[in-house]
Amino acid sequence: MEPLMGMGVLALMGAAATIAGTTEDLESDVGSQSNPNSQVQLAPQMMYPHRIYNKAISGEPPSNALICAIGGTVASVLMTAGLSVVFAIAVGALIATAVHGTYAITSYMGRTASQKRFKQPIYLDIIRSHTPVIMGYAFITTFCILVVSYIMVAVLGHPFPLALIAFIWGITVGAIGSSTGDVHYGAEREFQNVEFGSGLNAANSGNIVRKAESGLRNGIDNSWFCAKFGGPVTGLAFGMTVFLSGWVTAVFDPAISITWGWLSVVAGVVLVLLMIIWNRRIEVAAREAYGPYKEDEEVAA
Amino acid sequence: MSAGGAGGEATGGIPQNKLIAVGVLGGLIAAYAGHFLVQAAGPAFAFIGALGAICAIVWGCAAVRRVASYGLGTGVPSIGMMALGMGVVASLFGLAVGGIAGPIVAFITASIIGLVIGALANKVLGMGIPIMEQSMTEIAGAGALTIIGLSVAMTGTFMFDAVLETVVATGYIAVIFIAGGMAILHPFNANLGPDEQQDRTLTTGVEKAAIAMVVAGIVATVSEDASAIPTIMIGLALWYVAFRKYVELVNRDAYKVIGTGLLPTEEELE
Amino acid sequence: MIDIAGILAENILYIVMVTLGGMLISWSVHFVPVGGAPAAMAQATGIGTGTVQLAAGAGLTGLVTAGAVMNVSDSFALVVASGAVGAMIMIAVTMIVGTLVYVYGVGVPPASAKVDYDPITKDRQDLYVSQGTEGHGLPTVSYVSGVIGGALGGIGGATIYYSLMNTSTGLSQSDLVALASIFAVGIFFVNAVIPSYNIGGTIEGFHDPKFKKWPKAVFASFVATLMCAFVGVLAIGGL
Repeated sequence: MEPLMGMGVLALMGAAATIAGTTEDLESDVGSQSNPNSQVQLAPQMMYPHRIYNKAISGEPPSNALICAIGGTVASVLMTAGLSVVFAIAVGALIATAVHGTYAITSYMGRTASQKRFKQPIYLDIIRSHTPVIMGYAFITTFCILVVSYIMVAVLGHPFPLALIAFIWGITVGAIGSSTGDVHYGAEREFQNVEFGSGLNAANSGNIVRKAESGLRNGIDNSWFCAKFGGPVTGLAFGMTVFLSGWVTAVFDPAISITWGWLSVVAGVVLVLLMIIWNRRIEVAAREAYGPYKEDEEVAA
Repeated sequence: MSAGGAGGEATGGIPQNKLIAVGVLGGLIAAYAGHFLVQAAGPAFAFIGALGAICAIVWGCAAVRRVASYGLGTGVPSIGMMALGMGVVASLFGLAVGGIAGPIVAFITASIIGLVIGALANKVLGMGIPIMEQSMTEIAGAGALTIIGLSVAMTGTFMFDAVLETVVATGYIAVIFIAGGMAILHPFNANLGPDEQQDRTLTTGVEKAAIAMVVAGIVATVSEDASAIPTIMIGLALWYVAFRKYVELVNRDAYKVIGTGLLPTEEELE
Repeated sequence: MIDIAGILAENILYIVMVTLGGMLISWSVHFVPVGGAPAAMAQATGIGTGTVQLAAGAGLTGLVTAGAVMNVSDSFALVVASGAVGAMIMIAVTMIVGTLVYVYGVGVPPASAKVDYDPITKDRQDLYVSQGTEGHGLPTVSYVSGVIGGALGGIGGATIYYSLMNTSTGLSQSDLVALASIFAVGIFFVNAVIPSYNIGGTIEGFHDPKFKKWPKAVFASFVATLMCAFVGVLAIGGL
């Protein structure tokens, strides 16, 4: 492929992946999924009943892998039948979204019903208002990942079949979403009642914020907050992963010669080294800006 | 992701031995019945394979429920992903070398791998869960039968040439892997809590298995030896029945199901 | 029936390589700094997700890269190195963005609670751990450990894929790619779960005392992967 064309394709993939990452994180914030959900789960036990969705669909990687694999499968079936690519991907994402909706509802109702002794009620209006939002975000995520996967298979000639690539990117986007954006939801939004930067004492576990600017806080309020930082950085992370892992082989194409292949490996290692240095710089800056929590009691050995 | 149950054996409901019988016999009989009926009476009977997968999934849910109640130290999903990891290797091996005995070879292979991993978890890793060996064997076996059942629903046979062409080479094996795996691990994970009930968990299992059946039906449209319409229609009907039943059980078990309202008052929580 | 002894004799090297790949994956998980649910609340050092999930995310990204390179090259070293690079990029990007969230979104400096001094930078750690927590964020030692873990996981996954792709078989190329890739995914999951049971779901990196438990998990993975390697190679070789 022409190098310029390759770069354009890669840019499109990176853009689609960025959107997918953002919506993946916001979807998990509306529904409260993955690790931060352990606090939502714990709250009623600590006598803090709440009106937050409890979407315990396994971890994020398997749940996103499920919607992406279903979407990829349906899209691939429709393409085999001769339908247009855009139509096939849209319908695939739609069916995946419907499945995701049933998973979301069963986990909210199931988890809440299993908390009978803590007197946590099931609010049907939460199901009616949040499930469509969850499904909407899931649709965008699935659609964008199918776009990335389709480009990889059809344009870049990746040997794996479409459904399998979509499955793998689903695992990856879920892993990234639960590692990055979810922390903003779990460590900051759920505990805005403690001072910023004070750390979260384990004694506060379960004491999540339950009141909103107006009325009682719900998952949609949480996504409004996380859309300001957690969501976009998750998009950045997934977009960078897709873009950089493709970029090294697009610039140094291993198909040309084995030397170019090794150059792509070197380029990848250099990128990783740069990120190690970047992380160190942020660490130093943070230690200087925030300072230690405790005074040094004994002389450092 | 929650850290699993509180520790201690899950109690109540249908005894595990009965569920093992349903899963093993249902899974194997349906795989063979699907295969032979398709040959004898036409592709419309491919859906029987998916019914076998439903039996295996319900059995798998019950096994996950028992072992995860002890607390695994990490999330419930891990054990489901492991089950399908073992299951996919064992079932493709069984179908590839077994010929007509394929499902049985696959089931036995998966059970042996599961047993060994369960023994390793207790003896080497020191997890100390008394039922680990049995549960891992069950979960791996259920995973293998799920994969085979859904493959029969997609292709109308478990003969490896057809499965390879329709299910593996196209990548649809990925959807079997994850839809089957989620159907096994999600029900207990979704109903986790101190007031969890076995019938509610297993009903969720049927509902999620019906979704896997519908997806298998969609894939069957590309196969000449399996009809899509019966699989999809029966899958949707089963899903509807199971979902209604699930909502009914939630209404039975929940503290309160209300349209909207404020949080319970202080006095109410006392 | 297939000629089991013949296939095994012909492909013994690949069985050994698949097993080694599985053991590498198992070892790699011990390097990945994962704090589980507490880390998602900034109550423990490491990435706020589950071990299996992050290891699988990184390793499978590596598998995608290795698969793309395998398509155009047959050099074992290059395929494996590309797998390592793909996984390293994924985990490095995830950790750098994780650091951004911890520092700017939550307002806590990276700090480890398991050691008083970072073994790499020699920075004091214990003073920067906020009250009532087990550390937070990703200090340099955890970051470097995670990159190593990603690289090893990518190498392991790519080795399994490469070995299965080179097993002598009568399959067509596209069938072989699909079969080898799904086997690699399956074996990857088995070997990602075993070590996470070994470390109880959380670890800070190679400086964590729990890291010393790795021989147990690697041994368990050796036995488990050997069985998977036998059936995997037999299935592919018998066709």
